[in-house]
Amino acid sequence: MKLAVVVQRYAADLSGGAELHARYIAERLSRHAQVEVLTTCARDYVTWKNELPAGEETIRGITVRRFPVSHPRDPKRFGKLSHWVFDHPHSIADELQWLDSEGPASPALVTHLASRANDFDFVLFFSFRYYHAWHGVRAVPAKAVLVPTAERDPAIGLSIFGPIFRGVRGVMFNSPEERALITHVSDRRGPGIVVGVGSEIPERTQPWRFKKKFNIRRPFALYVGRIDENKGFPELFSHFERYATMYPHGLDLVLIGSNVMSVPKHARIRHLGFLPDEDKYDALAACDALIMPSKYESLSMVALEAWAMGKPVLANGGCDVLRGQCIRSNAGLYYDSFEEFAEALYQLEATGPLGQILGANGREFFRRHYAWPVIERKYLDMFERLSREPAPALEPLPGFFARRRRDLPPSRGIVDAAPTGAARA
Amino acid sequence: MSEMNVRSDAVDVEQIMRQIRARIREKRGADYTEAEIQQLATVKLEKFLDPRGLRSDLVAQYRKQRVVPPAPPNYEFGETTLYETHRGPLSALRRLFRPLLKLFFNPDKITSVLHLQSEINRQAEERLRRLEEREPLSYELLHNLTLEITRLGIEVHNLKMRVESLTSRMDFDERRARSLETVVEYRQPRQNQGQGGGQRQGGQNQPQRQPAPVVPIAAAQGTGAAGATSTSSGEASSAQAATPGSGQQGQDGGQTGNGERRRRRRRRRRRPGSTLANAQGQTWAPNAAGDNGDDTGGSDAGSDADADAGADELDDTPDPSDATDQ
Repeated sequence: MKLAVVVQRYAADLSGGAELHARYIAERLSRHAQVEVLTTCARDYVTWKNELPAGEETIRGITVRRFPVSHPRDPKRFGKLSHWVFDHPHSIADELQWLDSEGPASPALVTHLASRANDFDFVLFFSFRYYHAWHGVRAVPAKAVLVPTAERDPAIGLSIFGPIFRGVRGVMFNSPEERALITHVSDRRGPGIVVGVGSEIPERTQPWRFKKKFNIRRPFALYVGRIDENKGFPELFSHFERYATMYPHGLDLVLIGSNVMSVPKHARIRHLGFLPDEDKYDALAACDALIMPSKYESLSMVALEAWAMGKPVLANGGCDVLRGQCIRSNAGLYYDSFEEFAEALYQLEATGPLGQILGANGREFFRRHYAWPVIERKYLDMFERLSREPAPALEPLPGFFARRRRDLPPSRGIVDAAPTGAARA
Repeated sequence: MSEMNVRSDAVDVEQIMRQIRARIREKRGADYTEAEIQQLATVKLEKFLDPRGLRSDLVAQYRKQRVVPPAPPNYEFGETTLYETHRGPLSALRRLFRPLLKLFFNPDKITSVLHLQSEINRQAEERLRRLEEREPLSYELLHNLTLEITRLGIEVHNLKMRVESLTSRMDFDERRARSLETVVEYRQPRQNQGQGGGQRQGGQNQPQRQPAPVVPIAAAQGTGAAGATSTSSGEASSAQAATPGSGQQGQDGGQTGNGERRRRRRRRRRRPGSTLANAQGQTWAPNAAGDNGDDTGGSDAGSDADADAGADELDDTPDPSDATDQ
């Protein structure tokens, strides 16, 4: 079997998000099939500037073909168009302009994919919202399998994505909540399965080494990822400062990751910056609990890693996916208010009544649903099923005038109308 | 207040969250959403507590807007006011006919009343002026009182938060203590465990004995001699003499006792069966007669040799025989 993985960025040192997800899947599937990665020359997800050389290279045994991005993103134009299509009645042409401005616009990648469509049995597209996925799926609909990595943001309510969701052969969802959301906005009926992604958990970790290296003496709750307003940090900082006053002997907060916003100076908040994987896993092993303050997650890989290492998770209850995962796994708590935050964090302390129990549940949950053999089996079963079933036809784009008719509702309204809350698996 | 009750074999996150919310509801007294609480807090702070909401230039603003109207003209009314005129002949004519006028009515009464009214007007005007002068002071006082009340309000708010914090801490400690209590395992003392068992037994067999006074570590060597001198008090005291530091250990409990016990074990390991107690064929007893308050008199009579023996057990000076054993 020959597979292509199409993703917006690809490199061995890109951490987190759909890119890491794509790399893990490509590497794992390469044990069962011949895998080739098609991607862009971009490294920066904000500008999509061409930074890596175009052409072929091998990364960890996988052939990677890079294609240049035709134009970098103009954040001003993109912001303006986003505001227009998300909040105003608009046309399909507006949405296509938005897609082009979002990028990474790489017509060369799409052309290459269309010309070599027959070389692959299936093409896995990562991240529905980007240029490569929309145009790529339209180029090879009969072989397209989508890993949407969709969040509850207004982009998913854009009408151009409906035919894509309905037209791909299969969808590999990250969570039941994502499946519910996509089903609601697109009315998709075809094959799809909740898969998610595994992780490269080290066999041995050294929590004491981490504590010694960073001079951490008190028990702590950990956050790993980008420190950004969109990740729910203003609320987390506010909650934690109040918690620190209420519980002087409670947990400290340790943050790992690059910061886009400033971290408040507080005796019990430590920001360690971006750390290598070894330190990250040692930190996970050393912490009492992992905190995920983001409201917009399609799948939190770091939460899965925490569970894999037997650590409980405290998630923002506003994020349906994380809330659902906590409930399904019985391995994490969630908060909708400060009181719930403080009380739940107390419950999750390693010396508290719940931390150990939830951590053990998390380990079991990860083993059952996110261990690599399970993930690989789901992908292979899906390919096997799709190879037996006929491919549906992709809906064509409306005509020239229909595309310019501004009668589409604001996408934010569509997403807001979608059902909320944790889905039952 | 309801307690969190979680069984390890069947954890249900939704159930835990319901319990957490119930606890919060109990603490709060009413089930407000976070947004409602924020709204209430904001209203309170904005309208009543926030000193920034107060105008610091309140008095100045008042003074600026205050317009003091000019005093109304007052009429001075004397005895002759009624008959005054600027025309000389008319004045003379009025003076001439005044008795005739008084024949018909009493003008003096009118003059007197009008004079009184004029005086009242003057006094009222004066009083009004004084009040107006005092008005800015009242405003200033009101302003300062408002500020003080605001400050006190904030202080009360802070104190409430501190009380809440302390309550939470107490809850926290109580719950932690309770959870720790559940994991503590109480073990029954085991019988006949060799020397250690003998020690415990010895202690149990002499419950009527008074605990000996705590002896400072610095003086331990000397008191070792004291223990050693108690040989005169019988069998138990001879056991004490065998391990003179043992009385010290029993008294000092965890601090010095653990260290000594460790050292003693070390020596036993090096010289199995060669302790003084074993050499004399006696059991080591921590609360031997030498520890006994009844026996304190004997401590002064300790011999130098015994004192040396005690010192040997207490300090960690290597025995020459150790070197050869090793």
